[in-house]
Amino acid sequence: MTINTLSQDGVQRQQMSCLTKMERMVISMQDPDMGIKLRNQRLLITVIPHAMTGADIVEWLIKKCSISDEEALHIGQIFVKYGYIYPLKEPRNLILKVDDSPYRFQMPYYWMSTRWPASELDYAIYLAKKNIRKQGELIEYEKECYNALHKRINHTWDFVVMQAREQLRASKQRRKADRIVLKCQEQAYWLVNRPPVSAELYKLITLTKNTLAMLIQCSLNAKCAIKYIYVKYCEQYQPHDPIMQGCLPSIPWITDDIMFWNMNCETVAVPTKLRVERWSFSFMELLNDPMGRKEFLTYLKKEFSAENLCFWQACEDVRHGETSKIPEKVDEVYKQFLTPGASRWVNIDSKTMEKTLEGLKRPHRFVLDDAQMHIYFLMKKDSYPRYLKSDLYKNLFARAIVPQETKKR
Amino acid sequence: MGKDECKTMLDALNKVTACYRHLVIALGSTSDSQNLREELKKTRKKAQELAVANRTKLTALLKDKSISKDDRAEYERLWVLFTSSMELLDVDMKRSLEIGQDFPLKVPTRHLIQTGMTGSTTTVAARAMSVQNMKYEADANIDTVDLKELETEIAQVDQMMEEMEMKVQVAPWAVEAKQEAGAELKSTVSVGNSSVGVISICEEEPKETVEGETGLMKVFAGIIFTVVLLIAGILGYLVINL
Repeated sequence: MTINTLSQDGVQRQQMSCLTKMERMVISMQDPDMGIKLRNQRLLITVIPHAMTGADIVEWLIKKCSISDEEALHIGQIFVKYGYIYPLKEPRNLILKVDDSPYRFQMPYYWMSTRWPASELDYAIYLAKKNIRKQGELIEYEKECYNALHKRINHTWDFVVMQAREQLRASKQRRKADRIVLKCQEQAYWLVNRPPVSAELYKLITLTKNTLAMLIQCSLNAKCAIKYIYVKYCEQYQPHDPIMQGCLPSIPWITDDIMFWNMNCETVAVPTKLRVERWSFSFMELLNDPMGRKEFLTYLKKEFSAENLCFWQACEDVRHGETSKIPEKVDEVYKQFLTPGASRWVNIDSKTMEKTLEGLKRPHRFVLDDAQMHIYFLMKKDSYPRYLKSDLYKNLFARAIVPQETKKR
Repeated sequence: MGKDECKTMLDALNKVTACYRHLVIALGSTSDSQNLREELKKTRKKAQELAVANRTKLTALLKDKSISKDDRAEYERLWVLFTSSMELLDVDMKRSLEIGQDFPLKVPTRHLIQTGMTGSTTTVAARAMSVQNMKYEADANIDTVDLKELETEIAQVDQMMEEMEMKVQVAPWAVEAKQEAGAELKSTVSVGNSSVGVISICEEEPKETVEGETGLMKVFAGIIFTVVLLIAGILGYLVINL
């Protein structure tokens, strides 16, 4: 079933109020006494009634609304533009001429409607009908639309062909005058709702499309640093992606086996190889994993720089914690880490220290940001690379296990 | 066989949908009348009967697990045809309700839009109902009474479509149409029949009325010329002989 927005929304969508006003005016134009004077349109043997001239329309508008010539012409143009009235002599030229060029009213079914917008399926059926009638001689723009629709709604194309044929057969049942009127009306409806693009504009559009395609091709060939970074990232993380690579022992959602989560939880004795490998991708990965953080802390204790990580953790706590506890937390941090001679004094440069001490007078969530950032980069540049080269890390990596794949039940 | 039956039923539904659309287009214009409203009602009921029959048949066929892959693909294609038909019918029914409410017939100052269409739609309705002539037996206030029925019918159709969506698991985008672009230029008779005959579907409409007129004028001129020649010939013969 296609996603049919009409069946749910069609009743709730409102008709635009300007369109409702135009509809009311068109209905008042039909008044036999006060409405527009209608004449017959004479084709060679057929006579079709209910035609009016542009001059008649403008005259009626002037009389009915008591407005000037210019305004009446403008309003008349709007009626033609929105398809309530269509020209008979030059159907593709949707303008109102104040002379004896003939116009006719459009069927209520074909009135512009925000509740029932013109659908692609209907357009496809119309083009198919036109194709049959003209034996394949559609204009350039219509041919393009036809091919595009054939690709887009290909799954209902059989229906389009069947329905086009049946609709033509049904219209054959009417007499000739009505058939001509029907054809003109449908054509006018689609000229309003799918206006054709002029030949020059069309050439311009195809030219633009081609140049764009060429540019994209060029940029793909050029050495684009961003592209490489992205590709590197994807390659690095691919073995870690359960969707791309699968996960060992097994995906819990499929096999109902929660070993995967158990093996990767915080307090496990021996981590998995993939997990340990991931810590080497970036410093943030190490810090995000609680076990990684613990291991790093152990290493830093050996190096006598554990206070850095503790400070960083305390700052994170201030940033993400409760607002009411911020002043006391900040105070704690100051006492433990920032006071000269504190037990866990952190080495921050003097400028940042001054700024932080200044900010401590009025503590808020982000007052320790600068200091935290300083310590973070210190750890990242200094301790982190050394940790990755350390025996602690290498031993852990050697000890790490690769879980065995469990069979699906 | 199940498939052929399905295809004939789908053809019938397709025909009724096309005719119904044709009738709905005429609503609110000068070809609107009591008769049109009755034709709409009858066509609608026929469409619904066909829809229910199609649905039962297709769901039964699709539920069957023992069919081959090709068969299943074919049934899914027929299912997409059926749902597209139902969507068109649904939209047309809702629009006919809207337009029917906006243009009641039994009002003293009725202002139907004068669109140039003045003929009746009896033949279209007769085609939809597959009868020779339509019989009209409704009472005078059909336009208001029918609208209430129409509302209930629309609700029924909506419900049916929802059920269909829920119960039948067919991915419409996965269906491949059998017809290629431009297939309508070769004519075939129905869904199943793939004979490529050159049956003309519609007579040559004049591409623009001006062109048609000049063509006709040429024909007339030719006829008049030959008639004049004949008369001259006969007169000459008589003159010579007398």
